[in-house]
Amino acid sequence: MTAGSTLSASFVAQATFRTRTWGVLAALLLLLASTLPARAAESSIVTLDWTVAETMLALGVVPMGVAQLDAYRDWVGSPEMPASVVDLGLRAQPNLELLADLDPSEILITPLFASLEPRLSRIAPVTTLGIYATSDDPWASMLAATRKLGRLTGRPEAAERLIASTETQLAQAKKYLPENSPALLVVQFMDERHVRVFGERSLFQGVLSRLGLDNAWQGKTNAYGFSLVGLEDLAELKAHLVVVEPLPTGVEEQLAESGLWQNLDAVRRDQVSTLPSVWSFGGLPSAQRFTYLLVEALTQNERAEDV
Amino acid sequence: MSAPRMSDIASRSTRPWLTPAWACVLMGLLTLVLAWWVLNTHLDLSTAAGALFAPAQDDIAQIVAHYSWWPRLGISLLSGGGLALAGVLMQQVLRNPLAAPTTLGVASGANLALLAVTLMAPGLLAFGREWVALAGGGLAMGLVFLLAWRRGLTPMVVVLAGLVVNLYFGALGTVLLLFHQEELKGLMIWGAGSLAQNNWDGVMFLWPRLALGFGLALLLLKPLAILELDDANARSLGVSLKYLRLASLALAVFITGCVVSVVGVIGFIGLAAPAIVRLLGARQLLSRLIWSTLFGALLLAATDLMLQRFSGALPTLIPTGATTAALGAPLLLWLIPRLRLKTGQPQSQGIAIGKRRAAIGPWLAGLGLALVTAMVVALCVGQSAEGWQWQLPFIQDSMIQWRLPRLLAAGGAGIMLAVAGTLIQRMTGNPMASPEVLGISSGTAIALILTLLLLPGASQLTLIGLGTLGALMTLAVLVALNKRSGFLPERLLLSGVAITSLFDALRSFILAGGDPRGQQIIAWFSGSTYYVDLPTALIVSALAIVLALAARPFARWLDLLPLGATTASALGVAVLRSRLALLVLVALLTASATLVVGPLSFVGLLAPHMARFAGFSRAREHLLSAALIGALLMIVADWLGRQLLFPSEVPAGLVASLLGGAYFMWGLRRL
Repeated sequence: MTAGSTLSASFVAQATFRTRTWGVLAALLLLLASTLPARAAESSIVTLDWTVAETMLALGVVPMGVAQLDAYRDWVGSPEMPASVVDLGLRAQPNLELLADLDPSEILITPLFASLEPRLSRIAPVTTLGIYATSDDPWASMLAATRKLGRLTGRPEAAERLIASTETQLAQAKKYLPENSPALLVVQFMDERHVRVFGERSLFQGVLSRLGLDNAWQGKTNAYGFSLVGLEDLAELKAHLVVVEPLPTGVEEQLAESGLWQNLDAVRRDQVSTLPSVWSFGGLPSAQRFTYLLVEALTQNERAEDV
Repeated sequence: MSAPRMSDIASRSTRPWLTPAWACVLMGLLTLVLAWWVLNTHLDLSTAAGALFAPAQDDIAQIVAHYSWWPRLGISLLSGGGLALAGVLMQQVLRNPLAAPTTLGVASGANLALLAVTLMAPGLLAFGREWVALAGGGLAMGLVFLLAWRRGLTPMVVVLAGLVVNLYFGALGTVLLLFHQEELKGLMIWGAGSLAQNNWDGVMFLWPRLALGFGLALLLLKPLAILELDDANARSLGVSLKYLRLASLALAVFITGCVVSVVGVIGFIGLAAPAIVRLLGARQLLSRLIWSTLFGALLLAATDLMLQRFSGALPTLIPTGATTAALGAPLLLWLIPRLRLKTGQPQSQGIAIGKRRAAIGPWLAGLGLALVTAMVVALCVGQSAEGWQWQLPFIQDSMIQWRLPRLLAAGGAGIMLAVAGTLIQRMTGNPMASPEVLGISSGTAIALILTLLLLPGASQLTLIGLGTLGALMTLAVLVALNKRSGFLPERLLLSGVAITSLFDALRSFILAGGDPRGQQIIAWFSGSTYYVDLPTALIVSALAIVLALAARPFARWLDLLPLGATTASALGVAVLRSRLALLVLVALLTASATLVVGPLSFVGLLAPHMARFAGFSRAREHLLSAALIGALLMIVADWLGRQLLFPSEVPAGLVASLLGGAYFMWGLRRL
């Protein structure tokens, strides 16, 4: 977090706080808060997938067990996982004996874990929820998966509420966005020389499209919606850079000495925003978080330019 | 196993007109054409040349050329040259044309150090990644030297120590990766060797160090030339072989470490450039040093330019290091028949470890008892959400459902690997040989990885079928390559090394891309009994017993083959036929075991070894005791792997590697 806040320090420092933008943020925050259920109910459903887990929490259902909880807390973070949830072990190889012991009523997986299905189905009925890598429109599959999850957990109305609140949030945010917003490049640093740039088939693209923002990355992406490229591949694109944290250790210092980075069009014009980490293969809760953080960053940037 | 010698590379393929100098000129021209071709898509040539020194600040194409394209060309030339220089030094010192900068564990040591520091003490990275990498590489090399010191740093022992350290560090790194995929994704790119640059720092870091390295190599020229003599002759000239080897290897490691720390792991160049230059007829050390360095520089630059030109359309990065390693495998396979290796000499070294025991009965009984105890513990003791639990050995559903299949699969795979290991060690007369080394497990793993990637959601049956196909194809390659030489043990092992390097390249390529499916694949090839259900487990254990019994009629051959080809055929063994038959058996055993526990285990190496240490030296009892030890090891490894980090599971193959590797290093020191 500290690394990112220093990157965006220039904007914050220059920001003059005007009531309109505060209003936007407050409205967005309220929206975000309204989607969080007042009280979450325990369930006997387990899942291996973090995206399913975060969506369950957003529906007000606490999973009985989730795989790799520590890493969930580091990489997804919000919504926060209650302490009662049992760690099932590695996502790729959850502990079967433990699972059998827990005796869940349902196991939720994504197509990524298809090879585990025969084993898991001996413990409890297995349902596959496909979001990424199954269709070219993850947003549509995300809505479908959310509704399906709502039915499975007996909370179809919560699923509709989540979808509706996401749509309201996006519509609200779109109104507050500056006119003629520049095209964006959403990247995540792998090391100081390589980034994942998100495009077609990614969660971030879904949000950008719904906000009416252009993605400057029109290149090919893999099944998970990103492309791994060297920094030099971004150089000729005119765009506002959106860096999604976390930055690997040392990258910030190395970028300070990177001739290419310093001379990127966006960096020269101070068109760089850093967002706190968002799970890049997430579901609607991650989409909401990304929307909120992105709009916050972009409106702050506008304030900075007005000075 | 006798080390293939530098002077053994035949000169028959040398064409008189293609000297090393002309090869460099041609390669240089190719590099120039490629460079022009790549540049032309962005800038015209004169602008690009101007951008080298003073880019126009308002033209982003010139800025990219200045900060990215030119430094990348520079770094590829420097790295290629440095790796080739290190390769010449190592090949000279180890007198082994297949020695390469990665042989001594430098790359894997640097890799592990970076992984560990990133996870545990990221603050250290502030000092600079290159220092962490250099320290890790240096430590790994130190370990290799420590292991080989007692044997006066004999070339073969150094190579073996390097191999073991590489495998061991690789296994440790895989454990870290399994648990921290998200944190380590950036390092996967480093591990696959990307030459992308965004300023001149890398070039500025490398060139003075490489210039220094080259200068020191020139100083070592005379004493190094003496190393081409036998040990005895060299010693009689008053050269302290130990310290000369130490100094030259340290220099090579320093150069490798510098290159690796800047651009990541790049295989093959350090091996190929010196080998090609030698095949083209360079004999003198000085001329090999100069031409190899030049050729290596141009080779890497040309490869990298080619990648820049063609990889643009893909949604993922094609890392140069993994590409060169993948290109290196066919080259290695092509080189192997061109090596002249000594044949048929008795290879007694190391095989006579341990005295023959007169009374083997009690020992076998003890082994059996240990195995039964391990099975009972593995069935009855385990952890659950409430902590440790002891279940009485009554038939319980959870035991039959979850523990028994894994126990049977682990035991069965242990038996198969141990028997395969015994066969191959006796066949090659090489105590360091193992089924993993033959590359059959790597071949199986390559097929499995491709299946997982290209057919997502493939069924267990599809995986088994295609895995076996991979094993058989590897076997076909092995047979095709080695038929003419009559399945010479050394050549067979070298073919295996080449296939394994192809597997490594594929692995790092997949990991660098950052596809979430990578996690699934790591879990697969780390070797785990996880995916086995009861019917499969029963089949595996039945197969293990049948195949192990199939090895028994070969006992006479196995007693005679270690005496050397000449002796064996004088005693009435049809050497060629028996080697081929044993090879097929080894392939079957290895493929079946790999499907269960993956390509990464030391069991095939370890079990026969331990059996021999315990004094079982006749083929029949060697096979039986090794099989028991193999089963015991795998069952213990599987159980430990499930308990150590509960609820997370460390795959049995990795635990076996860690246990086995430690034992093996200890054994190597005593050898």
